[in-house]
Amino acid sequence: MSALSFERLGKSYGDADVVRDISLTIGEGEFVSLLGPSGCGKTTILRMVAGLVEPSRGRILIGADDVTRLPPNKRGLGLVFQSYALFPHLTVYENVAFGLRRRKVSGAELDTRVKEALAMVRLATFGERYPRQLSGGQQQRVAIARALAPHPRVLLFDEPLSNLDAQLRDEMQIELKRLQRGLGVTTLFVTHDQGEALSLSDRVGVMAKGVMQQFATPEEIYHRPATGFVASFIGKPNRLQGTVADRSGGGGSVSLGGGVSLAAASLDQPQGARVNVVIRQEAIRLHRGGADPGALPGTIALRSFSGARVQYVVRLAEGVELVAETSSHGPDAALAVGTPVSLAIDAEAVFAMPADGAGQ
Amino acid sequence: MIATRHGLLLIAPLALVLTGFFLVPVLMLLPTSFGETVPGAGLAPGVWTLENYALIITDDYYREVIWRTLGLGFFVTVACLLLGYPLAYLIARGPERWRVPLILLVIFPMMLNLVVRSFGWIALLANRGLVNNLLIELGLIATPLKLMFNLTGLMIGLTHIYLPFMVLMLVAAIRNVPRDVEAAAATLGSSRAHVFAAVTLPLSAPGILAGSILVFVLTISALVTPRMLGGPTYKVMATLIYDEYMQLLDWPRGSALSFALTLMAVGIIWLSSRLTRRWAGMA
Repeated sequence: MSALSFERLGKSYGDADVVRDISLTIGEGEFVSLLGPSGCGKTTILRMVAGLVEPSRGRILIGADDVTRLPPNKRGLGLVFQSYALFPHLTVYENVAFGLRRRKVSGAELDTRVKEALAMVRLATFGERYPRQLSGGQQQRVAIARALAPHPRVLLFDEPLSNLDAQLRDEMQIELKRLQRGLGVTTLFVTHDQGEALSLSDRVGVMAKGVMQQFATPEEIYHRPATGFVASFIGKPNRLQGTVADRSGGGGSVSLGGGVSLAAASLDQPQGARVNVVIRQEAIRLHRGGADPGALPGTIALRSFSGARVQYVVRLAEGVELVAETSSHGPDAALAVGTPVSLAIDAEAVFAMPADGAGQ
Repeated sequence: MIATRHGLLLIAPLALVLTGFFLVPVLMLLPTSFGETVPGAGLAPGVWTLENYALIITDDYYREVIWRTLGLGFFVTVACLLLGYPLAYLIARGPERWRVPLILLVIFPMMLNLVVRSFGWIALLANRGLVNNLLIELGLIATPLKLMFNLTGLMIGLTHIYLPFMVLMLVAAIRNVPRDVEAAAATLGSSRAHVFAAVTLPLSAPGILAGSILVFVLTISALVTPRMLGGPTYKVMATLIYDEYMQLLDWPRGSALSFALTLMAVGIIWLSSRLTRRWAGMA
């Protein structure tokens, strides 16, 4: 049973296509993220679902109902904004009660449900305060309680965690996931943060320039990116220029210049074609010392410590450098510049795409 | 944030000018308002009386003028609000390319001299004026409507003159209402009308309050337009004070009337601010 689906949904402003004919189906209780850089059309999709932007083409269905032409107040959705968008002139209690009152809930039931929603976001004692008396994280929790209280058919999030600082964001992520799993409410979550999308979602849709690049589980998005864009957008990629040196079966090898070549598990470009090569930093295993068989020799050019991880810029040959990382608790956490190392790179983690179509 | 010391420095020039040329002269009037005029001789020396104030409260004529002035202020403010809000909403939320032309249109009457505009209204509203002639020609009325030298005439003229102030205040306030908050109300089940009543209107309250105070104060202190459209007999506080000073040379009574007007204005502004704050949850 699908809870929310789009059929060839599209939006154009004049000649500019912001969203190009996207079709997808979200199951009951599923948590789906739309991930992409700003301007990729993900927020436009969300606003079309909410009824705040009118689609140029296609249909939107909630359950079995076509809501494409319905105004926002007839859709029965909950929307959480990046800006929180609380009612500044109403108390926290009245903010949460707003949607319930609109649905003619009153008296004891209203009170119960408002308190229930506030308890869910751990703000039970904050009912009498005004939004301006709360911190950013608390305001965001009120916004979530307000969206949840009327029991929406679908919950929509528009970059809800972007205005919070890093630590609070991590806490809210976990809290959000727990809430969503507990309530089993179908959720569409829009973000530009891949960490958020991958960790929260059942399925992720990666978008670029209004086109859905890939719609799949987080694992699949990460390990088997469908397009060059997905490969270079997800993870921490090294981006290099190269040419296809050799083809065998579905794969082959790419030459990065300076005598360095890498095996790639899947290649769909002809031999000699110029390609952009994407290699995930985290897929490179770095060891101190001379080359193991099948690994690439290099020297440390730069070290950068970022807490749990250490990043190294490794020079493989003149003009060919890769960023590799390792745990800061491991044996190779403190290598000096100039230290010889070897890099082992899985052929599955090497992606090559046509030189002009690698980016967006 | 600006430190208090720097803030004081920033307002110092204006504060000095206002103290020297406004506050001190006004305070110097205060003793005058407790004095007594001797006809032909000016202020009686050494007299200290509450009679001027007592007269304002007890005298039927003064009481009538006071109520008339406050009523005028109230009705002009309400008329400006009702006429101004839709226009301000259109300017704030309408198509971008309409914004500048509409604002120019709102400001345009202010470029004409106040006397000219008031004469314009005389030409329109007089017994043989354009409006009455037109209505008689059309056979809608037999005898001219009385549109001047009464509350109707003053209301029409003053509403026209002070509407731009209200509109400009409201445009700024409506533009400050976050669209996301309105969208949030819509997704929670509010119809367009309810979004307006429950969100847009209360969130634009600061502008409603500022515009209303401005128009109210300007209206009850207006002199030129009431003099021209009200004639010599239909008086409001400002014209009455002017006559006490300039025609009757009764400075004490003029001063007492001035302070009475100021006190009433301050009182009404304070009360309306409190009420608005409570309504819009700003308290």
